Amino acid sequence: MDKLAEQLRDDAARIDVRVSDEFDRRIAASLEAVSHEVPKSQRIRQRPAAFWWASSLTGVAAALVLISLINTHSQVEDVPLVSPITSPVSVATIPSIDWKAESAMLTQPLKRELEDLQADLKKAEEKVKKEIGL
Amino acid sequence: MTDELHLIDAAKAGSAKAFADLVKSYQVRLLRFLLTRCASHADAEDALQDTFIAAFRYLHSYDPRWRFSTWLYRIAIRNAHKIRQENVVEIGDLSDEEDDPLLHCIAASETENLWVSARRVLNDDVFAATWLRYAEDMSINDISKALDRSDSWTKVNLLRARKALDAEMNRENNGKEAYG
Repeated sequence: MDKLAEQLRDDAARIDVRVSDEFDRRIAASLEAVSHEVPKSQRIRQRPAAFWWASSLTGVAAALVLISLINTHSQVEDVPLVSPITSPVSVATIPSIDWKAESAMLTQPLKRELEDLQADLKKAEEKVKKEIGL
Repeated sequence: MTDELHLIDAAKAGSAKAFADLVKSYQVRLLRFLLTRCASHADAEDALQDTFIAAFRYLHSYDPRWRFSTWLYRIAIRNAHKIRQENVVEIGDLSDEEDDPLLHCIAASETENLWVSARRVLNDDVFAATWLRYAEDMSINDISKALDRSDSWTKVNLLRARKALDAEMNRENNGKEAYG
């Protein structure tokens, strides 16, 4: 130990400090007063692990019950895909139109066209079959 | 140290006697330290009492990785600071060199003391670091924890304190030789 350190240590030890009996009793009394409240605060911090497990499981169970309740009681309304047209005008007031329409008759050239298309389709199908080796 | 750990364990388990033994083993050391931090002997005693009450109340949260003395000193430093703040706020700074409790204790021992010079040339935290290092033989790491400072702060300031105190010691020695 160097000279300075030694001097500081010795000088610290030379500081004359005494603890009086009165002060001793004062500390003892204040610790006695505190000792009644200490177990309570320690109890809060030193709860057993089972307590934390039990409280966690209770929380999880409560969450599950809540989720199942929400799922069973919720009613999903059937929303129509197309909303009904609400017309401000009464249907009875709309005049009926007499459409003069005739059903179309297939004429000869159109029929031939259809036959050609079917023939082309058949050719294409055969070509594909040939290419894939069927 | 092992005895101390046994006492701490017993006190944690609720033994008032074990805690009383801990109080006995630390009260003089802590009071001596607090006398250097407080404006009066009464304040130092109040700070010491608050320190033991806080230690007793929060003993369950004490981490054995710390040295018990470091933990106690940290509480003591906070309490001394709190009491000083209260005095300044409520009734103004009453610190008076004549009432300095450290000077009273040194005057009683009737010897010259380097800690008086230390009080004059070092600021509060550096003085505390120096005290913990040389009077309490604490490690740099423990001092840093007790003062809530970094290790580098502690190292640098201890070095500065050493230089300042070396100069003071040489000055005192030269003075003695000159007048002796």
